[in-house]
Amino acid sequence: MTITSAVVRARTRAGKTWPGSTVPRRIRLISGITVIALALLFVTLAGTTQIARTGLRVIGHDAGPQVVATAGLYFALSDMDGQIALVLLMGKAHGQRRAEALQQYERRRNEAGRTLMQASALAGNDPRKRRTIQAVFDGLGRYERLAGQALLLDEQARHAPGPPPRQVLDTYREATDLMREELLPQAYNLTLESGTIVRRVHDETRSSLSAGRLVVVGAGVLALGCLVWLQVFLARRFRRVIAPALLVASAIAAMYVYTGFTVLDREAGTLLTAKRDGFDSVLSLARARAISNGMHGDQTRYLLDPQRADTYEHTYLDAAQSVLYVEAGNVKTYHDQVSAALDVSPRRQGFPGFLGAALAKQDGELVSVTLTDYDGFQRADADLRLLGTGGRRAEAVAVRLGPLSEKFDAYDAKLLDLSERHRAVFERAVTDGEDALADLWFLLPAAMVSIAVLVVAGILPRLGEYR
Amino acid sequence: MRALPVAIALAVLLVGACGGSAPDSIVGKKTVVVGVRPDLPGLGLRRPDGSFEGFDVDVATYLAGRLGAGVKFVAVLAADREAVLLDGRADLVLATFSITQERKKRISFAGPYHVSYQDIMVRSDQKGIGNVRDLAGRAICAVEGSNAAERVVEERGVAARLVPAKDYDQCLTLLKEGAVDAITTNDVILAGLAKREKAGLRLVNARFNEQRTGVGIRKGDVEGCEVLNRAITDLYQDGTAAKLMTKWFGGTGLDLTSVHVPRFEGCE
Repeated sequence: MTITSAVVRARTRAGKTWPGSTVPRRIRLISGITVIALALLFVTLAGTTQIARTGLRVIGHDAGPQVVATAGLYFALSDMDGQIALVLLMGKAHGQRRAEALQQYERRRNEAGRTLMQASALAGNDPRKRRTIQAVFDGLGRYERLAGQALLLDEQARHAPGPPPRQVLDTYREATDLMREELLPQAYNLTLESGTIVRRVHDETRSSLSAGRLVVVGAGVLALGCLVWLQVFLARRFRRVIAPALLVASAIAAMYVYTGFTVLDREAGTLLTAKRDGFDSVLSLARARAISNGMHGDQTRYLLDPQRADTYEHTYLDAAQSVLYVEAGNVKTYHDQVSAALDVSPRRQGFPGFLGAALAKQDGELVSVTLTDYDGFQRADADLRLLGTGGRRAEAVAVRLGPLSEKFDAYDAKLLDLSERHRAVFERAVTDGEDALADLWFLLPAAMVSIAVLVVAGILPRLGEYR
Repeated sequence: MRALPVAIALAVLLVGACGGSAPDSIVGKKTVVVGVRPDLPGLGLRRPDGSFEGFDVDVATYLAGRLGAGVKFVAVLAADREAVLLDGRADLVLATFSITQERKKRISFAGPYHVSYQDIMVRSDQKGIGNVRDLAGRAICAVEGSNAAERVVEERGVAARLVPAKDYDQCLTLLKEGAVDAITTNDVILAGLAKREKAGLRLVNARFNEQRTGVGIRKGDVEGCEVLNRAITDLYQDGTAAKLMTKWFGGTGLDLTSVHVPRFEGCE
């Protein structure tokens, strides 16, 4: 069968149902819809990957690092004030420890400056954040001046371990009030604000991704349907079983719809992993560490300032209950309740509070050792307060410098280790998400151009028969 | 054209997928109903004409403004603060509502918008009461429905003698008559009372038991809570908080030298 005879026959057949001139119009119409569907697929994939990429950038490279920077800032500031309190508490004794505490203060001061610079760089143009960071910069200068004065007065006083003279205490009160009531809340709120941004971007990006997936499937089905329709139409009109170019175009389109859908689907999963298993845990742990460091400082201040001992003890209890909640009306009951709860089930999960939240999805062994360390920290606190209320100040200071320090450091190291693990999960998820998007994006134009070329190659010879 | 129904179906699916935020959020409401105290001078007090005044009332008005909503107040007593949120009588509660882990099991809190301390109020000529320990052996007023006096005994372990009273007005009478030596509760409540009484009373500035006063909000309204926290940041950064503190508590002996944004509780 020659082509000419086929055309003649086709024209004859077409003549029965269609006027001859409508055949090329039909081909153009079906091809036109195919191209529109492909364009929709292309635009949707391009748009959705762009949204996903922006989402990953905000979460992975702005808000995520901002949480790390501001949590580091809080920790450094809180520990600066804790170290000053400790130096004042030691007085003229414990020369070596005093020097170490002063060195630690210097290190934390440098960390605070560095993290503040990072937070400032990451804050972008957000006016609320900029004002907050500026306020912390200003306050830090005032704090250092007050702390310096307190240290100087303390050196001149040369007092025994325990509460320093009135003048020293008054200056330190000014410093610690500035730190705890002004600077620390602002650093903490910066961390929370980054958490807000991550939650919003995560929710928005995921809902865009699920909408994008639907459109990709819709546009893909439409494009494939049109390609099949074109194929069937050509086969009927021109007595050709298959047009190879169109078949290849269909295969590429099908493959790309499938790839696009699965990548967007995986991207939604990656975002969820980055947020739930990475970011949320990093945030919970950052808050647990921040609050716990403040508790450790309150233990020192409890011994340092007898007039305010009740205030610091209550702050300690309040903070402890936000880290790990058990029902307790006073510190002693809290210690007992924590120990009792862990005696019953050392791997218990689901404690309300930051620590409970951070341990929610960990394996039993890790939960157990972390909670045991927290309990150890609480038991040492009980010893400290027993000596404190009994008026045995020198012994209380020795507990603060010895066993209590060790218990706190062990507990804090666990939190830091956990935090690093979740940070790794977070960073890996963000990188995976970005890589998958980059691959999809790289192949997208090539796939679309080749489909278009193949469609044209498939229909041009047929249209040519009408010239 | 066959493509048309497909396009319509897609559009419908898209709109469905992008649908609005949680239906229960305070964000987007035209009017928010705020529960405030009717019985605390300086904080939330019902005027004879039925309207409300006080620090909490002014803060609520500011926050509603930031939400772009109108505000309507309802009176709420201490015991009903959770109930009005849970049964929908109020969208927000600003009523000297302290954030506690126990309350957070049922409701959420934005803020705190103010951190106060438990303090002690005595007669101006009273000597020898400088902090909570000095209440040992003294008679203190225990108001029905408030646990402030009990906390002195149980939490702080100070052996004070509790003298029951129906409300703060009765406490004031007992204090002036000498039947009690001190009233202890939230410093802003005491400051409000002292300001109304004008003379004869004094705040000790003992500042024990930190109280974090938050905005009560229905549990799960994370977006509403986040928007309120940003509004509270503005309240402090634009100087409104300091102005309102001076307006309601200036000259009461309450320390107003440093007014700063509190550490937020967080919204999850």
